[in-house]
Amino acid sequence: MSNSTELIRLEGIKKSYNGVEVLHGVDLSVNAGEVVALLGENGAGKSTLVKILAGDISPTQGTIKMNGVEYAGLDVYSARDLGIRMIFQELNDAPSMSVAENIFLGQWPSSGGKIAWKELKAKAKEVLDRLEVNIPLDAEAGSLRVGERQLLEIARALIQNAKILVLDEPSAALSNIEVERLFSVMEQLKAQGVGMVYITHRLDEVSRVADRVQVLRDGNPVLTKPAKDVTRQDMVTAMLGHEASGNTRPVVSKPNKVVLEINNLSDGHVFKDISLNVKAGEVVTLFGKIGSGTSEILESIFGLRDIASGEIKISGTTFTPESPEDSTARNIGYLPADRQRLGSFANRSVAENLSVSSWGKMAKFGFVKRETEEKAFGKWAEALSISARRGPGQEIATLSGGNQQKVLLGRWFEAQVNVLLLVEPTRGVDVGARRDIYNIIRQQAKESGVAVLVATSDYEEVVLLADRALVISRGEISAEFTDEHVQANNLIAASS
Amino acid sequence: MANLRGKKVAQDSEQGAKRARKIPDSAPLIAVLILMIAYFSVASEYFLQVENFKNIFANAAVTGIVCIPSTFLIIAGQIDLSVGSAAAVSGMVLAQVVNAHGIVAGLLAVLLFGLAFGCFNGVIVTLIGVNSLITTLGGLGFLYGVALLIGNGQTVGMNDFEWLGTAQPLSIPLPIIIFAGLALMGAITLRYTKFGRSIYAIGSNPNAARVVGIRSNRIIFQTFVLSAVASALAGAVLTSQLSAGSPNSGLGLELQVVTAIVLGGASLAGGRGSIFGTVLGLLIVGILNNGLILMDVPTFWQRIAQGLMLIVAVSFDSIRAKLNNTRA
Repeated sequence: MSNSTELIRLEGIKKSYNGVEVLHGVDLSVNAGEVVALLGENGAGKSTLVKILAGDISPTQGTIKMNGVEYAGLDVYSARDLGIRMIFQELNDAPSMSVAENIFLGQWPSSGGKIAWKELKAKAKEVLDRLEVNIPLDAEAGSLRVGERQLLEIARALIQNAKILVLDEPSAALSNIEVERLFSVMEQLKAQGVGMVYITHRLDEVSRVADRVQVLRDGNPVLTKPAKDVTRQDMVTAMLGHEASGNTRPVVSKPNKVVLEINNLSDGHVFKDISLNVKAGEVVTLFGKIGSGTSEILESIFGLRDIASGEIKISGTTFTPESPEDSTARNIGYLPADRQRLGSFANRSVAENLSVSSWGKMAKFGFVKRETEEKAFGKWAEALSISARRGPGQEIATLSGGNQQKVLLGRWFEAQVNVLLLVEPTRGVDVGARRDIYNIIRQQAKESGVAVLVATSDYEEVVLLADRALVISRGEISAEFTDEHVQANNLIAASS
Repeated sequence: MANLRGKKVAQDSEQGAKRARKIPDSAPLIAVLILMIAYFSVASEYFLQVENFKNIFANAAVTGIVCIPSTFLIIAGQIDLSVGSAAAVSGMVLAQVVNAHGIVAGLLAVLLFGLAFGCFNGVIVTLIGVNSLITTLGGLGFLYGVALLIGNGQTVGMNDFEWLGTAQPLSIPLPIIIFAGLALMGAITLRYTKFGRSIYAIGSNPNAARVVGIRSNRIIFQTFVLSAVASALAGAVLTSQLSAGSPNSGLGLELQVVTAIVLGGASLAGGRGSIFGTVLGLLIVGILNNGLILMDVPTFWQRIAQGLMLIVAVSFDSIRAKLNNTRA
């Protein structure tokens, strides 16, 4: 850290989309051998800022200074030439190729069109040694752990002479040990004078790894301080804009008939020893950071993921989930986080998307009447205020995210499930429709007595939705909050 | 970027407007059909005659019988390439068994073969999880060998069983009646039953289909059985028409089937297609073949035309998919 040469300075960066300004004059500088932690809520402008840094988009106003040259904006190629490299949470490697090949992916050293294997391997070994990681060069990338593959991406950035590394939530998918290894690699890089921008949601990592903290809120820079002078509470307050509280809690109900009971459930990898129950008409949330295991717990209950030990009971009867088909037959519904991949039938009508899980009940001699479907859709369109302008025959893909999500919720209400598992129920849903969805879920729970278990990484969602809140940290239940204790700062503190 | 976004929004609403007053998907097919009929009518004096059209339909009917369950499979995102060889084996079995034990035994044997081979395909695809293209390509190869083996490479003559292929109740050839019945049943199944809708759902999004509780494997398995039974039936009809089982009788059937279905608007990516579209596609393929024959185009060129037609059809499928992607 003795090295304090400034590598890059962004000044007064503004960015507008369609006349709507999303960044309102942000400064960001990175020195050689420095780690800047960039914090902020979803939608605070972190990813816009990072895209500007990577040259994906140009700022509407402001300047970027690097090597004494002033730029009005970078493009992808100039950003690369300047040595700016991005490491994303998602892997960008070729799983079926070797470690050595992956380090040079697309830029294999060659002579006369022939790959220079000796040179390739020697250089690959050199860079892995430099990072002090020990991964066999001939192993297939796909056989490595996620954390190791991420290190390969860092190695690739180094091979390409990275001066500035932007790490966008690299730790989200990593185990504790892998996170430690990532940090030690980052220490190495610091010592070698590489400047880093580190984006994370895990506040406990900030003091471990960062030299400086910068917080964005609603596109404004709200805090820039040396990491050692910032407390955890400072960061939370800066991110939220207020002391973490102030959200109105719904009126909580406390029913007593247990519908879903889980005892000591473990999957052997991500979560362990989970015990909880959800009563009829109750909404229980599992809050945790992305990667903490909340969504995996729901996957296991629904039969999408194997269970290593523990037991699940539905209304007192032991239930071993074998497959989603079995779970739906047992009146369990599941709303996936990935709506496109697991939820909607994009080119089919909203009526069909809503009725698909009720066909068994609707069918007479195997025939499903369109009118039955359309009536069901009409009923839920009104109850959930779904706006499908072209009626029940409209393709679901043409609806807004919020309306699509309401159709998928209606699917399970129509099917009259006893247990409803919701994973990130408002991801990709605009803010206005979120409260709608919370109200719908709560109201339906009360009216139909369905037991609702929600996995979410959004604490505001917990505050607005939960009758009871459990917090998951690294795969285990770390706290339970009820009544007025369901508050953002409690949740955040318990989830780290 | 701001501009780009603006443009995209404009595009979306434009698309919305277009879709509100949209032309039926089948319109271009009907237009092509009319153009072809017009052209061949002028090009050949024999074309626009009742007997010729009976001929076209009777030939298309054999392919068409196979097309119905194959349409189901393609909508579900699967494919069955083994149909031609399955029809050939069925024909060889029919000729042998009818000669030795009579018609009832022959038809029973054909049905059993269809069920057995369909179960075989179904097990490999759903239980073992092999891609259906590869599974049925293998089936196409090995069943052709079986067909050659049964007749020792020769055509086997069949006695006294012409009616299935040539009878004309109400002066309509029986194969046409069989095909029309199957097509109607197929269309109703796809549109109005849980089974048919599940097929669309599986093709539209196989992962989501599991999550909503559709028993995808069971449905795909059943559809493979239907496909093999239909192929066996087609083989029986063909053998009856020819009064002989020929190992080569099903050659190229899969090509015609897939061409007709894809021309009819089914997507090889699954989730789209209809029996009505398939029937239109079938007529286009049938009329093209017939017209080329009437115009004395050498058979080699007919082969070339058939192959090119499939490529044209799948190109349309891809272009359509690209257009849809840019919209989403």
